[in-house]
Amino acid sequence: MRSGTYKETYAQLVALTDSRLVWFWSAVLLAVLFVAPYYLNAYALSFLTLILITAMGALGLNILTGFTGLISLGQVGFLVTGAYAYAIAVSKFGWSPFAGFLLAALVPAVASLIVGAPSLRLKGLYLAITTMAFSFIINSVILEARSLTNGARGIRVRHPDLLGVGTAGDVAFSHLCLVFALAALFATLNLRRSRVGRAFVAIRDNDIAARAMGINLQSYKLLAFATSATMTGLAGALYGIYLSFVSVEGFPFLLSIEALAILIVGGLGSTLGAILGTVFIVLLPEATRLVFSAVSGGAGGLFTTGGQELKSILYGLVIILFLRFQPRGLVGAWHDLKRAWVNWPLRY
Amino acid sequence: MRRSRLASLLLAGTLLTCEPAVAEPGLTDTEILIGDVEPLTGPPALLGVGHTIGVKIAVAEINAAGGINGRKIRYVFEDDGYVTARTLQGLKKVIDVDKAFALLGLSGSGQSVAALPELEEAGIPTVISVGPVKPLWEPPRKNVFVVGQAYEEGIRQLVSYLADKNPGRKWGLVTQNDDYGIAVLDGFEAVVKAKNLNVVYEGSYKKGQQDFSSDILRVKDAGVEVFLAGGIISENVAMVKELEKLGVKPVIGIFWPGRIEPVIRLMGPPSDGIYAVDYVEPQASAAGQAFLEKAKAILPEAELKGVNRYTFAAYAAARTLFAAIGRCGKQPTWACTISELENTKDFATGTMAPISFGPGVRFSSQQLKIMRIDFATTSFKPVD
Amino acid sequence: MDYFLQLAVSGIAIGAVYGLLAMGFAAIYKSTGLVNFAQGEITMIVAYIAWTIATTVSGNVVVVSAGAIAAAVVLGLAIERIVMRPMLGEPVFSTVMVTIGLAVILRSSITFIWDAYPHALDLGTGRGIIRIGGLGVRGAQIAVVGTLLLLLAGFWLFFRYSKFGVAMRAVAADDRTALLMGISASRIHAIAWAASSVVAGIAGIFFAISYDLSPDMYQLGLKAFPATILGGLDSVLGSGFGGILIGLTENLAGGYLGSGVKDVAGFVMIVVVLMIRPFGLFGERDIERV
Repeated sequence: MRSGTYKETYAQLVALTDSRLVWFWSAVLLAVLFVAPYYLNAYALSFLTLILITAMGALGLNILTGFTGLISLGQVGFLVTGAYAYAIAVSKFGWSPFAGFLLAALVPAVASLIVGAPSLRLKGLYLAITTMAFSFIINSVILEARSLTNGARGIRVRHPDLLGVGTAGDVAFSHLCLVFALAALFATLNLRRSRVGRAFVAIRDNDIAARAMGINLQSYKLLAFATSATMTGLAGALYGIYLSFVSVEGFPFLLSIEALAILIVGGLGSTLGAILGTVFIVLLPEATRLVFSAVSGGAGGLFTTGGQELKSILYGLVIILFLRFQPRGLVGAWHDLKRAWVNWPLRY
Repeated sequence: MRRSRLASLLLAGTLLTCEPAVAEPGLTDTEILIGDVEPLTGPPALLGVGHTIGVKIAVAEINAAGGINGRKIRYVFEDDGYVTARTLQGLKKVIDVDKAFALLGLSGSGQSVAALPELEEAGIPTVISVGPVKPLWEPPRKNVFVVGQAYEEGIRQLVSYLADKNPGRKWGLVTQNDDYGIAVLDGFEAVVKAKNLNVVYEGSYKKGQQDFSSDILRVKDAGVEVFLAGGIISENVAMVKELEKLGVKPVIGIFWPGRIEPVIRLMGPPSDGIYAVDYVEPQASAAGQAFLEKAKAILPEAELKGVNRYTFAAYAAARTLFAAIGRCGKQPTWACTISELENTKDFATGTMAPISFGPGVRFSSQQLKIMRIDFATTSFKPVD
Repeated sequence: MDYFLQLAVSGIAIGAVYGLLAMGFAAIYKSTGLVNFAQGEITMIVAYIAWTIATTVSGNVVVVSAGAIAAAVVLGLAIERIVMRPMLGEPVFSTVMVTIGLAVILRSSITFIWDAYPHALDLGTGRGIIRIGGLGVRGAQIAVVGTLLLLLAGFWLFFRYSKFGVAMRAVAADDRTALLMGISASRIHAIAWAASSVVAGIAGIFFAISYDLSPDMYQLGLKAFPATILGGLDSVLGSGFGGILIGLTENLAGGYLGSGVKDVAGFVMIVVVLMIRPFGLFGERDIERV
């Protein structure tokens, strides 16, 4: 039984984990995630795929908001930029999907330098509003640049062939998403324990102190924006492929709010929290649907369409109640659980 | 064993695992399962709920008459909240989990277009009636049928009609900045070229805009005499009220997505004489009244207020589909249903002109009607 | 000239609606340090309640306004007591998230309790058109601007002279010291929520009279939030002004530059203003200590 942690070197302190057990279970989870698509039906698989794509976007926002403390309401702007970069490259110009993904990473990153510029002067909600402004402005730009984007018509996107392997089927596509999500996860985890990641956290905790410690605020804030946008842009490209159709309407502003919701419900600033939050928020509508159909199924009302709205009410209620009883988010609940497990039968 | 454990591990056992299909899916000895995905929550519920009510009327009617060759119809629908990703998920659910035999629907036009690859891959017979847009039938897909008329054609006929009635006038148009708006604009510009109309104002607004004061002021400033309001519901109301405020009275035309009766009351007296175009019977016509009578007999009071043009359209689509399944006899299959849908010829539903498809024709190209608002009776009256 | 005046007048009228909502945002932020993402939804609910009163009880303006304002007070207090107060002392982000959850509930309850069709709020007044020279304005549009000005003056006096107003400023400045001085923070919060919901409700009613009720009315919140930021998050008066500025900018841009620019113009202006004044036009600059 582990009864505490003793770290003697910096290497130990920044290691991803000090426990072999964690590695083991991670490997098991990975294996399950790899095998699961073969056994799940298309509907269940769509949740898995959506979780993987959303997790990537959430991890991207986590770098910006969770690590660096820059609140963004413009996440959907990066998502849509990435999706269009991919769609234009692959569907319009007929370039290889690799070029598409490369652009989906680069274009949002470049855009983020423009969006990030106000962050050098603005803080908190004032910054949030400029990022929100960006996401609305980018939509207008996309709608106006008809020759490149087809305007409101949108662009049809096919599932790509990568190195001769088709991803047309749901299974292959979910594997593609798994690869991307894993890459994003490892990038985030390693970033967090590097010099750059520590600088981000220092900026979040107190930017003036961070500056006094020799952290260049300008370049690190912009770097946070660029990394976040890259990851989100790639998630956007995957989301576009998933929808098979990229249009401004497929990326409503609501997604920006949902991204923040994922981080907060998961536990702000924690990578594990971002993942848990994603699973929670993606599956919540399905959970409310099940409760709803279980309850209304008995009543058997063929004609009670108005009651559908109860699902959304339930959705809001769950979020409120959850935060009421676990304000530190899912990651807080996870830590409580772990502590209870280790200390049982004692409370502390 | 392992299957079920994996599934429960991932989704707490809420979602069933794949079972290989034995016969045609959605078919039992006593039932035929029809699937649908519609926005049932949020503002777009207006069309989603209206649509599902139409299907329910058709289902109730056919079940009361003993079903299709002895099998009762069961109608399952998923809510997508008008979010494309959820439309796709809902589709996967009705196809793979519920195992529907055929589909009706499907949500908005953008959602239907996004669903096409999924529909084609599944090969399930589908009749779309909510958002008829060209990409749905050009090129024709084997299993996807569209009941309705293209926006472009609707606009073309309305504008041609108005142009003949009002020769030599100045034209103006405000459209929504999405695929619907583009279709409207395309149709409009085709007539403008053909009839050489004098267009003095063309503007667009962002979906969700609520205040149209500057847009309509420009319309007034340009001296527009024939005005096409390309909004959906509240946008058209706002535009007409703004015209009233500015004291201009152009000839006004609106299109079918916003042609619901409550609009008339909201616009008030200025709505009198506004032209509209639709392929669905107006409620005030004899056929419309007959359908409403039928609906009243079947629907509970609470659902009646949800009846609108989408109910009419859905009813026609559902009847067409059921008739095709019926012609397949005791053991309907997807292949037979598709070929019978193709054989649909002058099928009368009462809520719109007779419906026909044909070999390689997946679009029923409904006959259009021009109508006018009669404010005194808050109704749309057909124009002779 | 008429063209410009007409644009300006309708811009100010819609801006006043944004302004009222923005004041609601600022009132809550100032006293609780929270952004209430359910502001637009509260506006919508109060307007729908007003409609219900108008169609079932009486269409009289006084009855409807009194009923709706009472309902707004109850709504604000109920939200504060049931939803927000248990979150006192919890992380700010979680608390803000709770208002997002609240927004979802309120938004859905519109189509649940009422329906998805648009409705007209007819109180027998305010819908008529008043013509001044070549200009056309609806009565409610003039009234909303007047109300905004009155409320601005009222809030100024309130914060300056009333005991509660001073207490609110004290809580905003330093809630711990305020507590030590014997100010009840939870009472201040309750007042802020009630006031904010009344102001938002008034905006909703005026909007519903001059436009219509529809279940996507909550999007007014999306316009008003930027207005609050523009005016300065902690400045109730500045927020009201910010709303007018946004309405005006959007309408002038829509009228002179083209309809595609209308929506973006407001945002571009905000970004530019914030780059020059990072705490909004009337916001107070934070003094940071390390």
